[in-house]
Amino acid sequence: MTTNATALSAVIYKVSELAPDVREFTLIPGNDELFPLYSAGSHVVLSLPIGGRIHRNAYSLLGDPARRDHWRIAVRRQQSSRGGSAWLHDEARAGMYIDLSPPVNLFSLVRTARHHVLVAGGIGITPILSQARELARLGASFEVHYAFRGPANAVFLHDLKAIAPDRVHPHDSDRDGQLEFGPLLARQALGTHLYICGPQGMVDACMQAGARLGWPSKHLHSEQFIAPAGGEPFEVELKRSGKRFTVPRDLSLLETLELNQVDTPSLCRGGACGQCELEVLDATGALVHHDVYLSAEERASGRKIMPCVSRLDGGCLVLNH
Amino acid sequence: MLTTRMKSQPQYPPLEWDRKGRQHIVFVSAEDPALARHLFEDPPEGDLTVIHLSEDAEANASGWQVSLPPGSKRRVTRRLDSALQKLHESLDQASMGARLYLVGNEDIIWQASKVADRFGMGADAVRRHRLGTLARPVYCVHCRTTTRGVRTNVADCSGCGRALFVRDHFSRHLGAYMGFQIDAEKPGELPTIEEVYR
Repeated sequence: MTTNATALSAVIYKVSELAPDVREFTLIPGNDELFPLYSAGSHVVLSLPIGGRIHRNAYSLLGDPARRDHWRIAVRRQQSSRGGSAWLHDEARAGMYIDLSPPVNLFSLVRTARHHVLVAGGIGITPILSQARELARLGASFEVHYAFRGPANAVFLHDLKAIAPDRVHPHDSDRDGQLEFGPLLARQALGTHLYICGPQGMVDACMQAGARLGWPSKHLHSEQFIAPAGGEPFEVELKRSGKRFTVPRDLSLLETLELNQVDTPSLCRGGACGQCELEVLDATGALVHHDVYLSAEERASGRKIMPCVSRLDGGCLVLNH
Repeated sequence: MLTTRMKSQPQYPPLEWDRKGRQHIVFVSAEDPALARHLFEDPPEGDLTVIHLSEDAEANASGWQVSLPPGSKRRVTRRLDSALQKLHESLDQASMGARLYLVGNEDIIWQASKVADRFGMGADAVRRHRLGTLARPVYCVHCRTTTRGVRTNVADCSGCGRALFVRDHFSRHLGAYMGFQIDAEKPGELPTIEEVYR
């Protein structure tokens, strides 16, 4: 929620360069208390001060969920970054204070599963690491498939092998091509649950293979945080308060609402959780949906929008808000 | 005595194939030649196995045999424990993408469901169709014994002997209807006992 978004304070304790475009941050509590406990697969939302305003990005906690004295996140520099990952790469230093939300889990393990298949692509390894640690601790049956582009990008392979020595299947996509989901999903025993975090194309390929092989959708879990993409400026009108703003090219609808002190509950800010959903009353332009939350039917209805990542392609958007 | 339908009481929609599945296991313990014909004349893609519990020595005249599509497997047994064991073996060999169809009386359907539960099969991988007797398995809420094949509104518990009123409240976990002592306050004072579950 908005009110919780900066409920915790942390200090950047250590910054490690894992690869040219990947940095790991170790965070410690900003006061004398311990961090709260979190469950494997959780993420936090960091509040970053960029250009005179607060920029919020979600990052998965990759460390040991049982540790409360420090948390670990890893950040890949996004090519299309509007500032969040670039700031963490260029400006963030050990000793800096950072505000963050309490952990939220949209990617939790199903404890009743008979076997767990964890699949990571690139920086998508971060939530998978905490899940693997938890499954190893529980003594559960699991396997991990870690796809990366060249050995230099296999940044957490060593950690992963330490957690689960015989259950890690590295996959160098530069050398071996795309991970093939057909053979992987076809041979899994009943009661298996699969968890995937990675680039959109990889997640789509996995979900399509699962559907083709008859996997019930409840056994296929994925997490993707979408970075808000800019777009055409558009007008937004709020029916309840009568307020009206312009959403500029480089801000999201949610950010614009927040800048104008319109309280809008949000959690992941990456189109995944559904918390910020708003009701569309009218739109004189095309809705551009970037989230992974709304169903195809909900999108087609034109009645809902996730303001954290989605926008209008010019024109005016009227919200019941 | 109970007029509104209990939410917990299972409903059994007409049985059709789940064509999203890639392997199909049918566990049947009652006869319905028309249903067998309907299902088998347009079988789904993928492996089809029928586990057939039949007390009838003439099981080969059953609709589950005569309509069986070519290439599918049928395993016949006369005993419930052996049928459940065959189901266990089939699920042990099955992969994600398999679908299970349970056809028979409620008692057997839900005993078989417990086997599917152990293999982590969710609600979207199992379909159930009630066929045959409406006799109920009844769970005594006092001594926790399940009395099987109850046809009457009130029945003696096979565990503690209490006269149990048979409710419509069904437990999927226990695979039985709840039964509670009807004459606890006035011993011996029982309603008219009628055969209501044939």
